[in-house]
Amino acid sequence: MLNQLSRTGHATFARRPYICQECLRRLQSRHIRSIASPAPAWIRPLSTASDDRTPPKEDAPFRKALKDAAKKKRLENRGKAQSSDNPSGSSEFKSEKWELTVGIEIHAELNTARKLFSSAATSVNDTPNTHVALFDAAFPGSQPHFQRETLIPALRAALALNCEIQHRSSFDRKHYFYQDQPAGYQITQYYEPFARDGHITLYPHDFPGGVSPEGGPVTIGIKQVQMEQDTAKTIQQPPSTHLLDFNRVSHPLIEIITLPQIHNPVVAAACVRKIQAILKAVDAVTAGMEMGGLRADVNVSVRRRDSADSSQQSHSYHGVTGLGQRTEIKNLPSIKAVEDAIIAERDRQIDLLERGGIVDGETRGFTQGSKTTRRLRGKEGEIDYRYMPDPDIAPVVVGKDLVQHLKSSMPLLSDDVIEMLVDPKRYGLTAKDAGTLVVLDDGDRLDYYLEVVEILRRIFSEDFAALSRVGKMAGNWVLMELGALFKTTQWSADRVSPSELASLIAHVLRKQITGRTAKLLLAQKFDGDARPVDQIIVDEDLLLRPLSRDEYLAMAQQLLEEKSDVVRDIVEKGKHQKVKWFVGQMMARGAEGTVEPGTAEEVLRLLLQLPPMEEQRQQMKK
Amino acid sequence: MSAIRQKMLRVRNPADLDQLLAKPTWSVESLLPSKSAASESPKISTQQLHHLLRLSALPAPENAEAEQKMLDTLSAQLHFVGEIQQVDTSGVTPLRAIRDETAAAEVEQTITLDTLKDALAKEQVVGKHYKRIQRKIDHVDAKDVEDWDVLGSAERKAGRFFVVESEMPQE
Repeated sequence: MLNQLSRTGHATFARRPYICQECLRRLQSRHIRSIASPAPAWIRPLSTASDDRTPPKEDAPFRKALKDAAKKKRLENRGKAQSSDNPSGSSEFKSEKWELTVGIEIHAELNTARKLFSSAATSVNDTPNTHVALFDAAFPGSQPHFQRETLIPALRAALALNCEIQHRSSFDRKHYFYQDQPAGYQITQYYEPFARDGHITLYPHDFPGGVSPEGGPVTIGIKQVQMEQDTAKTIQQPPSTHLLDFNRVSHPLIEIITLPQIHNPVVAAACVRKIQAILKAVDAVTAGMEMGGLRADVNVSVRRRDSADSSQQSHSYHGVTGLGQRTEIKNLPSIKAVEDAIIAERDRQIDLLERGGIVDGETRGFTQGSKTTRRLRGKEGEIDYRYMPDPDIAPVVVGKDLVQHLKSSMPLLSDDVIEMLVDPKRYGLTAKDAGTLVVLDDGDRLDYYLEVVEILRRIFSEDFAALSRVGKMAGNWVLMELGALFKTTQWSADRVSPSELASLIAHVLRKQITGRTAKLLLAQKFDGDARPVDQIIVDEDLLLRPLSRDEYLAMAQQLLEEKSDVVRDIVEKGKHQKVKWFVGQMMARGAEGTVEPGTAEEVLRLLLQLPPMEEQRQQMKK
Repeated sequence: MSAIRQKMLRVRNPADLDQLLAKPTWSVESLLPSKSAASESPKISTQQLHHLLRLSALPAPENAEAEQKMLDTLSAQLHFVGEIQQVDTSGVTPLRAIRDETAAAEVEQTITLDTLKDALAKEQVVGKHYKRIQRKIDHVDAKDVEDWDVLGSAERKAGRFFVVESEMPQE
């Protein structure tokens, strides 16, 4: 604990401006000059949420039984773990005893025309080393020229993450030697980042299956967002040859740093997914993680939740308690890797601590599909970046009018869109469908959907019953039916125009064509039939003819004669609910969609000489 | 150093000045460790020295003698840094570079909506109902900075690539 405190205290010094790092290291053994110790930054009070986990006394026996069973299982698993290398089986029990804490750093390539410190063009797959200015190659004597328009996507990203834009920010040099970085330092914003103190809220719709593992919304603080340079692209030729392409050197990046406020791997994954979606929504980035446009590092630590252990209740929370020693897992290439790496590292740390070991502050790596993290650099090999303000780059001063303009012209963010779509008075979609619409085709699908709904609303402007259904109905057709057709091909709004789809849906809503006919029609339009939907329906005589009353009567009569035993149940034994069974039979016998359940029941009751049931009929109408 | 200033204030005539300049009042020596009390200067371990050399991508000393010399030099330098850090700089903004730091200069350097109007003009709004911003991706003319032989000074190259031999990061 003491060791932990002095480490975190030391880390806080290291963040203070202009203190020589070498001197700092020496500070631990010898004094050069005493510096007043500020409060360590990584300390936070133990979460009181664990209080709630303390079981009420009365159900203790049952809970104890559960605990004992879990303990037994854990012991078994541990035996297995040592042989089969799979300690995760007992993680549910472990998470009762241990609290996981995660902070995330996300690096995202900004969507800009030019590089950060030269007017060379940004590029993705151009001929290697064709977009390189002298400064990008660290040519002696070359000078940086900050490209001011790179601020536009950076500011939008920070605003979308609810950050406070700093009036003034500046650039620093972060020193390390690696072949992908020609200057021997990366230019970043260490002491004065351009944005601070943001937050992101994860709602149930942001989680797979629409269920938040924490029960409700989870808010995660964003400590800061900074601008920095990307490094060269390296192509490895084993065993030791590296081919370097400097086209990517100095491509503008933002680094987003969250506070260590995440306590669940699923939340961490959802957080990265949502940040990625937000960055895309405001056009701040061009590519997602799958294209290498986004990379994540995670800091992972665990600590005992002593409060959950009833035997230790006397150890009440004495104010502040620090987090456990953290490790950093670098360069996670996918959201799945973020989640899996955190699980693997959490289990590794817990196992280590439970066996009496100590977690070392080190940098670790994770290979996708792997069950464990692996050590990259130990503490002694840890890089000391020797940050210093870059004297060649003037501070960046951002005008209020610019921030105001970007704020007011911000595109609608996914949370607002989803809120609008699930509102039963507006679109009435499920959260899942709303979430799907937002992420599909860079928003084009959503725009298409909204257009379809608008046309339908015009068509049914007088018909309130239909109006209340168009949102859901259109959602179903745009996502499910049209979605199935576009499964193997690139989305295009022109393939089936919004007005044609709306016309199709209108026919279904008016019960003029059956659902099956509508699906076939849609496929026909999708495959290039140029005729309007109306025309095809006329040409191919697809219009449904409603059954006449005589036809209803004939159909019901025949059915009642066939199933005289059921009729007896209804008439003699008073099992009136069996009328419904007949209604179902009639609907199944008639051509699809032609038999109206309301009319069918009315006719059946007439023939069975039962009173018409108002209540039920009203329900049908709903 | 304030001692110097006080002395200078007392200089009234050329004779005083001669007298003042005849003998140094202060020496940079005072910032270096005295030879007799070498133990006062900060101790650096061999391990720390090698760590620093590696961070700076400098070669390790060739022999024990060279290493001792490096350690002594570094120790003296750290003593010097320690002395410099005794100066009370609270409230003093660190000097990063010599620039015009006047309010007028700040106003001039401020990046405003007007500064970025050309870049913003290269954006379009797409979507009829769900309006989104899109940067128009058109050809960027950067010939003025890209038109040079990037690989010209490379010792090793393969096709359009620079080539570096390096061991993989340790497992």
